[in-house]
Amino acid sequence: MQENKRGGIKRRDFLKIIGVVGTTAAVTGGCSSEPVEQIIPYVIPPEDIVPGIPKWYASTCLECPAGCGIVVKNREGRAIKIEGNPKNPVNSGSLCARGQAALQGLYNPDRIRSPLVKDSSGRFKPLDWDSAEKTLLEKLQSLRERGKGDRIVFISGNVSGTLERLIKEWLGAIGGGRHVVYETFAYEPLKQGNKIAFGMDKIPTYHVEKARFVLSFGADFLETWLSPVEYAKKFSLMHSYREKSMGKFVQIEPRLSLTGANADEWIAIKPGTEAFLALGIAHVIASEGWHSSGISKEEEDMLVALLSRFSPDRVSSITDVPSSTIKRLAEEFVKLGPSIAIGVGAANTSTIATQTVVAINILNYLVGNTKEIVNFGESLTISKASSFKDIVSLVDSMSKGEVELLFVHNTNPVFTLPEALGFKEALKNVPFVVSFSSFMDETTELASLILPDCTTLEKWGDYVPREGIYGLIQPAMEPVPLFNTKPIGDVILSLSKQLSGLEGLFPQQSFFEYLRDSWKAIHAEVAPNKDFETFWSESLQNGGVFREVASPEVRLSRDILRVDFSEPSFNGDGSLYLMVYPSSRYYDGRGANKPWLQELPDPITTGVWDSWVELHPDTAQKLGVKEGDFLLVESPYGKVEVQAFLYKGIRPDTVAIPIGLGHESYGRYAEKIGVNPIKVLPVAYDDLSGGLAWLSTRVKISKTGRWARFVKTQQTTSQAGRGIAQAVGLEEIRRGLVKREEHHEPDMYKPHDHKHRWGMSIDLSKCVGCGACVTACYAENNVAFVGKEQVARGRHMSWIRIERFFEEESGFEARFIPMLCQHCDNAPCEPVCPVYATYHNYEGLNVMVYNRCVGTRYCSNNCTYKVRRFNWFTYKWPEPLNWQLNPDVTVRTKGVMEKCTFCSQRIIYAKDRAKDEGRFPRDGEITPACAQTCPTKAIVFGDLKDPESEVSRLSKDERGYHVLEEINTKPSITYLKKVKWDRV
Amino acid sequence: MSKRAKILPLALVPVLVLLGLYFKAYEKAAESSTKGPQQPILFSHKIHAGENQIPCEYCHSYVTKSPKPGIPSMQKCMGCHLQVAGRDVDYEYDGKKINIKQEIQKLKDYWDKKTPIAWTKVYYLPDHVHFNHKRHVLRGIECRTCHGDVENMDVVYRVPKLEMGWCIGCHEQNARNKEELTQLKDCLTCHY
Repeated sequence: MQENKRGGIKRRDFLKIIGVVGTTAAVTGGCSSEPVEQIIPYVIPPEDIVPGIPKWYASTCLECPAGCGIVVKNREGRAIKIEGNPKNPVNSGSLCARGQAALQGLYNPDRIRSPLVKDSSGRFKPLDWDSAEKTLLEKLQSLRERGKGDRIVFISGNVSGTLERLIKEWLGAIGGGRHVVYETFAYEPLKQGNKIAFGMDKIPTYHVEKARFVLSFGADFLETWLSPVEYAKKFSLMHSYREKSMGKFVQIEPRLSLTGANADEWIAIKPGTEAFLALGIAHVIASEGWHSSGISKEEEDMLVALLSRFSPDRVSSITDVPSSTIKRLAEEFVKLGPSIAIGVGAANTSTIATQTVVAINILNYLVGNTKEIVNFGESLTISKASSFKDIVSLVDSMSKGEVELLFVHNTNPVFTLPEALGFKEALKNVPFVVSFSSFMDETTELASLILPDCTTLEKWGDYVPREGIYGLIQPAMEPVPLFNTKPIGDVILSLSKQLSGLEGLFPQQSFFEYLRDSWKAIHAEVAPNKDFETFWSESLQNGGVFREVASPEVRLSRDILRVDFSEPSFNGDGSLYLMVYPSSRYYDGRGANKPWLQELPDPITTGVWDSWVELHPDTAQKLGVKEGDFLLVESPYGKVEVQAFLYKGIRPDTVAIPIGLGHESYGRYAEKIGVNPIKVLPVAYDDLSGGLAWLSTRVKISKTGRWARFVKTQQTTSQAGRGIAQAVGLEEIRRGLVKREEHHEPDMYKPHDHKHRWGMSIDLSKCVGCGACVTACYAENNVAFVGKEQVARGRHMSWIRIERFFEEESGFEARFIPMLCQHCDNAPCEPVCPVYATYHNYEGLNVMVYNRCVGTRYCSNNCTYKVRRFNWFTYKWPEPLNWQLNPDVTVRTKGVMEKCTFCSQRIIYAKDRAKDEGRFPRDGEITPACAQTCPTKAIVFGDLKDPESEVSRLSKDERGYHVLEEINTKPSITYLKKVKWDRV
Repeated sequence: MSKRAKILPLALVPVLVLLGLYFKAYEKAAESSTKGPQQPILFSHKIHAGENQIPCEYCHSYVTKSPKPGIPSMQKCMGCHLQVAGRDVDYEYDGKKINIKQEIQKLKDYWDKKTPIAWTKVYYLPDHVHFNHKRHVLRGIECRTCHGDVENMDVVYRVPKLEMGWCIGCHEQNARNKEELTQLKDCLTCHY
């Protein structure tokens, strides 16, 4: 061997030594004694907990105002999984990714750990609850003594229900302070438009499932609009292919949202001009005499006069939509009916958004579907939120020093209001600000006192998302002991008891008692014949009380004549319209502190852990921009620097940035990640409702010269002709031209002989690409989140992913396909494993045995579907995020391969229960986490060898196919082709 | 390459051999030992399950309902020990003399302070092994099959080594037919 010139040792020698040392380590490691564990008994055992057996508690999700019903799985005292409550008609058992991720709010390591008070140096100092309450009591007492009780303002998110009553009663008793209900997306134009058109100052429930043709004017109902899980389910009932037929859905919006990506046709309208298109369509319907016979002569005359101004040609020049399209849409709207027009979404709220809603209402009224499909009886409580004007006047009073005490609960206005409004500056003029937030967000950071509330999963309460739905909230576990929190209701009651003169105001000792008393009214109304205790325990078991509310008859009001239908106005002299859109993952930003949501790829860009600005490739070319370039997006009100993402689903004159990131304060997972586009918005109003006009700005874009790779999980938008996400034309399938393709390749081995074979079918005409399944899988299977840097290296750990492709041959069509382990009967991963860590089991599962795996990664290399994930590190869940881990699933460590197991722990659990009754699990008894949470029920799981099972039936469907079938992997997953309306 | 660097790996060989021998001996010792871990209270299974013939399921009450047998809550211990104060006599406990009454008094002290007793686990299984007590007990497997002659143990110690071969051996012997044998030898039965 040659002497190394520098006197050190050469690489080969180094390796030899390392080899020997390594063996030593292996020898000692192999013999090391096992860890000493302890078993801690209960001192007094909880009545209903059996160790090893989960308990489920019905409750209500408050991650957005939709208020879905949930059931929370509790194991040994810890909430570990959330599922939709099948009894709640809002979400019927499904749940979105945000709802799934509520657990990471509960166990967020950055939750506030005790009450905090700001000292004179501006730093927060922890204190105990008694002193915290005393600090506040002194303020309250002094305000009351000075007769300034009316100078208290309580600002909260939508808290419809008992808590709202308590807040109102309490404020009234103290001296008449105001309660302002501030929701970032309060859909005021909807409310106002309904008031003008029908005299209904409400947001109704749209029964999309009863329609056969849906025309949406920018309503992103699969993402954030009103009640996304509910609408996804209804949309699927309307739109999925069944018995040779399906409904049609047309989306009208300048930027193709996830909702739009599921449409049969996308109309890229000029931003803010939707009202005119609706009126143009109505014009054609009225002039052709296609309107409903239910319209009176008087109404007809009124409408004809009103609509005469909106000929397709004129509308076409305003909206950029060809007049032939307008005429065709009118025809389809009438002939493909029953139809419904809906809108508008937050992102499309222009300065004339209410006018758009009025126009939409006219369109609906013309075809006579207002009673059947639009139910004003089931109106949403978000209709009762304060108007944006109230927020503006609050800011005004605050700046004038008229507010002496401000309470903030479950809302973060400093982050969600445009900076130009000056909420943050105004807040500095409020002498004392109390935040009930459990998280240190932008608003809470400016508070004088923080009284951290429990999360929804730890406390009692109720929530009324809409008339007829009374959702109960019950604690799914004791409050996490690491955080010294107290439910807001209990704090208010305790404060009252200590305020002189108010001691007797509330006889109840706790908010729980107050809640029960409040439910006595519901009891009297709903079930007076039952005794209260029975009613109460039934309500708790069911997660609340749910009733149908009849739809009242509405007539078109003459007030519509007062609407002048003017064109929208835009601020700024830039050349590009700026759309800021609510994120399906973060809503208005409240989801940003949950790593599951940060790591869930955006359905359109597949970006993670960051923001981006979407611009059309043509626009990008003109500006010389490529993906990943950092751009300066500038309005007269501010600027943000953000990476470019090129997207053909946006008009060349428009750019779009998602809302939700760019937090300056909200814990380690949210801070300093992405940008907040609300910063650059002006305070512009929708003219008739006074709501914030989100779409009201034009921006300039310039390059900063910086570039970085845009981190996304899918690098291509093309299927490269491989037929991964397949589709068929509706006409083709109607005519029976679609035949199941059979591949018969020669086999080297004899086929497996299964008595049972677990399999899955995924209907691509139902899948909307929302990603709820992905997050449900993370929660169920202890899948690690790895962060942006690791995702950039392709080390994303998700067991199921949504692949999205854009088909550009005829127009621009998006396709979504959930991709997970196919549990191939002829699995390429199995024969290459040198240690038999992955094998085919007797029920057709492709099993991965973690403890056998030595990490060669041969299996992953050989996997046709790229669904295997390798643990490059032992990923950590910072305390107490690890409390969420499912004890029935092994937590994998460095060097181990992992992948979808079809939730084998659920299969084993169901088989164990069935065995107690001496049988095999019945069809439908086993549901993997992805299938369970799917809002559209696109995923069906079961035994392929049971000829009666639903999955067997679906697997034989004419639309069925296996991905990359020609490779002869014989997957257990059958995809059903998406069905497309034939292009016109 | 320098001489020193050449010698270094060779010098490690005897060290390795010694280490190997040491651990081989250690392993053997661990296998033959009847010593269980020292527990916070010198609890005797021999007195409870042997002399007083309390059925296992009385204390490990979830054993037929759950994968986990459960250990008795402090309340359950006190359910008897409110009445049973114990004999104030010396008792030969695993080779040393103890006073029963004093040990029961320790329990009462815990109870008065409402603190749980942190027992040391005797039967340790790594996280990637899922063992279901219910399935085994309902199948008629006796507790002693795995846990040994607990009635005669003051200190409970681990009888089997809990290695996979031992599990599989029993599964092979007890399978009623070929189909069940396949199921019982499937990795997924325990590893998921």
